[in-house]
Amino acid sequence: MSKKIENTIDFSMILASSVHDMKNSVGMLLASLEGLMDEMPPVNAAQNKRFSTLHYEASRMNGELIQLLSLYRMQNNLLPVHIDEHYLIDILDDQVARNHMLAETKGVEMNIQCDPDLHWYFDHDLIGSVVHNILVNCVRYTQSKIEISAKIEDEILCVSIADNGPGYPPEMLQRPTGKVEDAEISKGATHLGLYFAQKIAECHKQQEKRGYIELTNGACLGGGVFKLYLP
Amino acid sequence: MNSGVRVAGQINYSKFSVLVADDFSSFRNTVNGMLGNLGVNQVQMACSAQEAINTCKNHTFDIILCDYNLGSGRTGQHVLEELRHKRLISRHTLFIIVSAESSRNIVMCSYDCEPDDYLMKPITGKMLQQRIDRLLIQRAVLTKAYRALDKHDYSTAMDVLVDLSLADDRYSSMAQKLLGTVFLQQKELDKAERLYTKALEVRQLDWARLGLAKVKQLRGELDVAGEWLETIVADNPLFLPAYDVLADNWDKKGEKFNVQYTVQRAVDISPMSILRQKHLANVATNNNDLITAIDAQRRSVKLGEFSCHGIAEDHFTFARISSLALEREMEVDPKIGNEALAILDAAKEQYQLTDVQHAQCDLLASRIHSLENRHDLAAELLRAAESVLEADDSGIETQLDRVLALQSANEDEKAEKLLFQLQEKYGHDQAALEKLDAFLNEPASDSNREFVAAINHEGINLYNEGKFDEALECFEKARKLFPKHVGIQLNIVQALIGKLKIGSAEKAEADACYSSLELVSSLVDEQHPQYERYKRLRAMASAF
Repeated sequence: MSKKIENTIDFSMILASSVHDMKNSVGMLLASLEGLMDEMPPVNAAQNKRFSTLHYEASRMNGELIQLLSLYRMQNNLLPVHIDEHYLIDILDDQVARNHMLAETKGVEMNIQCDPDLHWYFDHDLIGSVVHNILVNCVRYTQSKIEISAKIEDEILCVSIADNGPGYPPEMLQRPTGKVEDAEISKGATHLGLYFAQKIAECHKQQEKRGYIELTNGACLGGGVFKLYLP
Repeated sequence: MNSGVRVAGQINYSKFSVLVADDFSSFRNTVNGMLGNLGVNQVQMACSAQEAINTCKNHTFDIILCDYNLGSGRTGQHVLEELRHKRLISRHTLFIIVSAESSRNIVMCSYDCEPDDYLMKPITGKMLQQRIDRLLIQRAVLTKAYRALDKHDYSTAMDVLVDLSLADDRYSSMAQKLLGTVFLQQKELDKAERLYTKALEVRQLDWARLGLAKVKQLRGELDVAGEWLETIVADNPLFLPAYDVLADNWDKKGEKFNVQYTVQRAVDISPMSILRQKHLANVATNNNDLITAIDAQRRSVKLGEFSCHGIAEDHFTFARISSLALEREMEVDPKIGNEALAILDAAKEQYQLTDVQHAQCDLLASRIHSLENRHDLAAELLRAAESVLEADDSGIETQLDRVLALQSANEDEKAEKLLFQLQEKYGHDQAALEKLDAFLNEPASDSNREFVAAINHEGINLYNEGKFDEALECFEKARKLFPKHVGIQLNIVQALIGKLKIGSAEKAEADACYSSLELVSSLVDEQHPQYERYKRLRAMASAF
């Protein structure tokens, strides 16, 4: 029995541990890059663009690696979901601050529309990383603006992230509730961020209700709108 | 107060003193720069866990920003545990762990030592400011309560916290959690129950569910508490505090195997907690599951290298359990003896041992050498240890190690003599006598004498009702404590004969009956008060 286990290498575990390593490297890369940008601010537009590309790609990699790790943990029932009362403004402020430099170098303006007293029940690390991923994605596609808002409708929290870019492509909108199929992920052309967001949303249950995500186009800024619903 | 964060920026940072700990200078410099921009004048740096701890010995900080990974195996969690354990920081210092990890995962190992916040790398100046602002305001809100708690002025603390928890703002939930723990600590169970029940009306949150289960436990409603705790861990299997309370609950019910099973579950989820590993090793040893005990104790020793909870005694315990496994010829790694000797040597390197502890090391090593038939070496170490112990008043634990070393060296007479001396010396020390009981035929301590009497009484009643299996269970419990107690052994024989008579005994039980009789025959002679009974039972057993 034990011999058999030794012989069959658990590839997903190897992947997970190397993802962990990569993530640490990317983290260092990002920190050094930010230090560099601090010490030697770009002097012309071309340099600025290079910095912003470097920063954007590194953040994206970082975000994806974290998502991969979380999904691995979720699949192995090792992802702690710690639901407690949190103030929405804290989470949104945090994520905007975290992506502040990225948005600035890209010339994107981020706005938060949220009652400072609005509070709800969720895992704030997990929801924070969902918001972060969507923001990073929006910075890539938007023209100049991102608006983040949160409110409670019918006992469900709705966090919405809208931009004034070209919007989500039609094939992504056609899915019933923005549902990303497991099969789609395995086909390669992934929407890992959305898949992650959906899985995290589903971890939030209240009585019979579960969280979900929804994609639309239009709304206030005319571009894509990502909505996260948590019961 | 509600929009505390919104008024941030008005905080005067110039009076704060901050410690930044990270093994990378680039991070320290970056954070230093960020703090400078906030107006902080006093920033100190530490590039290792040890340096961070040492710095806190001479200085009180308002804020500590500590990287999780501090190099050479030590983490920010270790630093926090040590600072709190040695009382180098109070609740008034904000401790923030900075890490590259996405969530609280990394600190699943923490026992009940949580930092005030986690910050995820890469951090930006703005993010840092927002978090610190929020935490400072939060701390300011709770300061009055913390001050009262520091002074053990619980009634003031409760008054303050009641007001805060009723405020229905962003600090009320935090105040409720703290108030709940103060109520429990002060045995204000009705108040605690009301608080948790009220919180649960809004949402089934884990902290409130756990709190309510604790109320039930403290009221002695162990079955209800147990049921609730099982539901909590079933719903959220990674919620570690619930396992700790559940293990405690089984312990209160006296169900040692369930204690072990529960601690094992928590350890499987979070193998990095040294205190849980030690707990597991301890319960497993008592349950005679030495394989588990060895594994858990090995990990405890390993984790102790970096933790303030690591002590030389952990190394000694490993040697003791290993000897027990060798003595019982269990199927353990044949190199276990060498491993134990190496772990004893490591104790000498890692800790500054006293003379008595050195002698204890020698006794433990001597026992292992005896068990592995290196008699000369064993004798040499035993003599060396004894020469120290003769001169020194060493305490019961060391003396018991000496008894074991003598027994393993087949110096039975000396062991018996020592046991006799110890009974005299500790005649008024019930705790010591309880420890001695394990070596004696009859318990010497009052508590164990009463325990044996009570459990024997219960078993005999069950036996008289013909409930042989239940009676056996009773006697087995007593035998576990006093394997050499003649009366208990004979009670077991008698119950087994009862089963044999009605034809419900299995082969294994017939064997058990025989081996108990064999053991008794080695313990009694014709002068023994139970000798006649032994002879009678022996005759009865031979009929089957």
